[in-house]
Amino acid sequence: MRNLILSAMAGALLAGSFLVSPASAFERTEDGKIIVFAGRQEIPVLDPHVRYDWSTRMVQQAVYDALVKYEGDPAELKPWIAQSWETSEDGKTWTFKLAENAKFHNGDPVNAEAVRYSFERGLKLNKGVAWMLKDFLAPEGVSVVDEHTVKFELKAPYAPFLSFLPWWFIVNPAEVQAHEVDGDYGQAWLAENAAGSGPYKLGRWEPSVLYEMRSVADYWKGWPQGENRPAGVIYRIVREPSAQRASLQRGEVDIAEGLTSDDYVQIANVPGIEIQDHKGMTTFGIKFNTQKGPTADINLRKAIAYAFDYDALVQIYNGAASLETSPIPDAMRGHIDVPGIPRQDLAKAKEYLAKSEHPEGGITLEYVHVAGLEEARRIGLVLLDNLKALNINVEVKAEQWPNMVASGSRVETSPAMTSVYVTPISTDPDAVAYQYHKSSWGQYYAMAFYDNPEVSQMIDQARASTTWDERADLYAKIQTQIVADQPEMFGMLQNRRWAHRDYLKGFQFSPVRFTGEVDLYPLWVDAK
Amino acid sequence: MTSSDLTTPVRLSFRERHESRIRQLRLYAYTFAGDFSSMLGLVLVILFLVLAAFGPWLAPYPEHTTGGFNLAARLQPPSAQHWFGTDEMGSDILSRVIVGARTSLWIGILITGIGAGIGIPLGIIAGYTGGWTRAVIMRFTELFLAVPGLALALAIVAALGPGITNCVIALAIVWWPGYVRLVEAKTLQVREELFVESARSLGARTPWIMWHHILPNCWSPIIVKMSMDMGMAILSAASLGFIGLGARPPAPEWGAMISIARSYMPDWWWYSFFPGAAIFLTVLGFNLLGDGLRDILDPRSREQ
Amino acid sequence: MLSFTLRKLAALVGTMLGIAALTFLITNVAPGDPARLVAGPNATEDMVETIRVENGLDKPITEQFVIYMSDLVRGDLGTSIVSTRPVLDELLRYAPATIELVLVAMALGILVGVPMGMLSAVYRNSWFDHLTRIFSISGVAIPAFWFGILLQLFFAVKLGLLPVSGRLPIVALPPEPITHLLLVDSLLRGQFDTFWTAFKHIIQPAVVLSFPCLASILRVNRAEMVEVLQSDHIVAARAHGLSSSRIVGLYALKNAMLPTLAMIGLRFGWMLGSTVLVETVFDWPGIGLYAVSSALASDFKPVIGVTLLIGFLFIVANTVVDLAYAWIDPRLRNA
Repeated sequence: MRNLILSAMAGALLAGSFLVSPASAFERTEDGKIIVFAGRQEIPVLDPHVRYDWSTRMVQQAVYDALVKYEGDPAELKPWIAQSWETSEDGKTWTFKLAENAKFHNGDPVNAEAVRYSFERGLKLNKGVAWMLKDFLAPEGVSVVDEHTVKFELKAPYAPFLSFLPWWFIVNPAEVQAHEVDGDYGQAWLAENAAGSGPYKLGRWEPSVLYEMRSVADYWKGWPQGENRPAGVIYRIVREPSAQRASLQRGEVDIAEGLTSDDYVQIANVPGIEIQDHKGMTTFGIKFNTQKGPTADINLRKAIAYAFDYDALVQIYNGAASLETSPIPDAMRGHIDVPGIPRQDLAKAKEYLAKSEHPEGGITLEYVHVAGLEEARRIGLVLLDNLKALNINVEVKAEQWPNMVASGSRVETSPAMTSVYVTPISTDPDAVAYQYHKSSWGQYYAMAFYDNPEVSQMIDQARASTTWDERADLYAKIQTQIVADQPEMFGMLQNRRWAHRDYLKGFQFSPVRFTGEVDLYPLWVDAK
Repeated sequence: MTSSDLTTPVRLSFRERHESRIRQLRLYAYTFAGDFSSMLGLVLVILFLVLAAFGPWLAPYPEHTTGGFNLAARLQPPSAQHWFGTDEMGSDILSRVIVGARTSLWIGILITGIGAGIGIPLGIIAGYTGGWTRAVIMRFTELFLAVPGLALALAIVAALGPGITNCVIALAIVWWPGYVRLVEAKTLQVREELFVESARSLGARTPWIMWHHILPNCWSPIIVKMSMDMGMAILSAASLGFIGLGARPPAPEWGAMISIARSYMPDWWWYSFFPGAAIFLTVLGFNLLGDGLRDILDPRSREQ
Repeated sequence: MLSFTLRKLAALVGTMLGIAALTFLITNVAPGDPARLVAGPNATEDMVETIRVENGLDKPITEQFVIYMSDLVRGDLGTSIVSTRPVLDELLRYAPATIELVLVAMALGILVGVPMGMLSAVYRNSWFDHLTRIFSISGVAIPAFWFGILLQLFFAVKLGLLPVSGRLPIVALPPEPITHLLLVDSLLRGQFDTFWTAFKHIIQPAVVLSFPCLASILRVNRAEMVEVLQSDHIVAARAHGLSSSRIVGLYALKNAMLPTLAMIGLRFGWMLGSTVLVETVFDWPGIGLYAVSSALASDFKPVIGVTLLIGFLFIVANTVVDLAYAWIDPRLRNA
């Protein structure tokens, strides 16, 4: 009996082995080739005015268009639905001329009213992208001039205004209103449906399994790859890096986002696989609580900053990272290399420690990182090891993101040291500088509770200024002062990496996109 | 002092006083030793206890278990230097596995201890007093038993936040009901025995009866269950660790090690293989031991 | 029989409400703030407040509890703050995958466990018996997640025989749903290719999930069989020259039914609990995975929902087992 079962099982397995097809590469359907993208993060809500994170925005960018679009490295603003625009002398009025051939997937034209409605919707819902503009723009500030002209009247001049517009996607008011329930602006419907004008429209939508997009043959903006455009893209949830790698090697997916640093080293040698490795804008820093506890003492902060082994950061990423030379990332306008930014120097570290309130060390500091962020955890271990030299004990602690953000929103509960990755939302230096403004207190990136009135004032000045030279000068001063105050240990810029099959072409990197996020529009498959 | 020698009875030696006990124990030992799987269990458990007791002295790289590392020797396969290979920080996996035994032992003892500590008194009270008290206790217990422990524990740890302490709290919360049910059933049985009846008729107070008559008669199944539970508690804690809700670095905990290690499959297989094997052998040991104990202490309940 | 069934049903409803209250209170003791997660990294305090108000999180906890419980009585499990969808809809979406997995695992447990248990009874105290004993205890002792990883490593990565994870290949279209169980639907629709691929996907997680259950079934069957083999009429039958295999076939299967049934009732809930691990390892889009991702996001209504569903299925399974028992053995009806 047992033998029977065993042989039956073995038989089944053997039979299986004959039926397994060889590496199948990209997927084909009747319509053409389908690119399969493996990622770890789900897309619970697609509504462009409600949520954004890398996976959500990747699909939003594929199915929706905005007035302008970020492309290239360094990122540049390209006219998209807006063909051209002009600013008034005082920097408060912006007028956009829209492309006349732009149309939604259902054939409706993308007109000024659609743009006005979308901004009104975004601002009124007060979710997702709203924070970018709501302090400067009221829903009534957007008006239709004519069918293809729309005007924005800001409450005050706001230099970074344009840099946020690529993330304000335009929805089709007719479709959204048709699905409105109890005045919800169609939120329930848009969570899993789309009403856009982008190069793709939604196909199968199986939450936590896969999200399919089908290419729009007559996309109003055309396709850069012409006839080679793919029939569609499937964003497939593969949670485990090991499973992602195996699927990529077996050709079940064409591009993967979440491999570990060590995976990239290994997979680089596999024939048929290419690695994209680009310098990103995501900064990693360890924020000190500058208002409470031992880290309120600048000498102690300096001591820690000088004790840390910065090379280990790069080592942890197997070389795919570069050290920060300023709070503002290299790829951003206005960046300068701040002279004298701390590097490991134990003598200096001990000197500063001696000047601090804890000259002998003997304290325990908490280091909090987001649970599941492997590299952040390892950096914590390095810190723990390094600070032994100062007789400072480190308690490495993982927190779920919501809990970490909640405790980091108040001085009293914010831990002594928190590891934070921040991806600036736009290419404007204000996106980084403002994190060090006192008004940012309460946000996760302001967990240091940095308070330097002079810096806050310079940030405000730079925001409102309309000439770049003046701004550049201000940002140089801001960067230098922040480094001198050491509200955080400036870490590194981690490279953005993807591994893909070599037949996948058209990959365009842009540092302003989130880690993992890819512009799906120019991709295509080069194979018969 | 002088004359009392005449009046006191002859002092019995320890051996003589406990003769029947010793004979019974010897029989137990004989039966137990004759059973291959029970002995295997015992050996595994002893090995585990030795590792837990002397881990830091046995580990070849003790500094690697408290946060030390060696980035130059990352992810090296098993070799003479590192029998179980090294992990992503270049720490010696053998050392971390050895020292992890202590963490696991603590987790096991705490969870089973708290579980039994809450469950046994409640079970005895429910079984002995009956009536409303019993109804309330048993209803509440059934509520917990109706939800699989792991699912409930997951919810609790997620709410409390990750970490070993919270893990232990969560598992202890889902662990005690098993003891209530076991002890209550056994108490119901013992309550009707003649010696309890007679104690009661002689006017013994309830707590006294519970302590002196009921509890001693419940020990066999409790010991068997606790032995089994040691293993299962360690396994459950490792499972929570695997989901990412367990121990914090650099404390070596087997489940947490695997949860990190699975990103390093398949090329760095040793990283997840050895901690997993450690969990498996430990739990196997406690289960085989419990199984063997059941055969000799409580043979009737074997098939339940 | 009717009143017996009704009593069982009433107890079921009571227990469900109890579980709901319990999980709600337990999950709300801690300070997690899902609204912040959902509002996004840059959200201002008033944006977070918008989300809190929408989800009723701004109210005191006692009021939230009353609202939740009264909604529950009306069959409303609340809304997931992360996906903004009703929890009930999501559960219905994810449950079939889990149920399919559990059913296949259960079938596997019975098909392997029953014969193995019998054989080890027949060859009692042989090396085979010792091996099965260690095997069956291993079944309970082996960490499901580790076993799963080992299977993936061997069958999927090394041999390439089976897929690493998932329920279906990426592009394969699932059959038009009838029962929402892929294996059943693909057969009903006559899509044998789909059936075969779905089968290959389910085999590894099902094996991992079935292992502890298989072990238990094996053990009860062995015990039952040992008793049967020692009973007088078997000894007599043997004396009359009936072959062992005939005896096993004739008596054992009949006797194996009840204890196997009881074991399934006991193990069913355990299996549902383990799906939390198995589905994580195999990316199986069921309620276990849903519970884990919701728990990690402090999104507790789905967590309570899953706990309730698992509790519900468990109680239903046990009730069915009780009813089956009562049907087989009428004396139990008054118990």
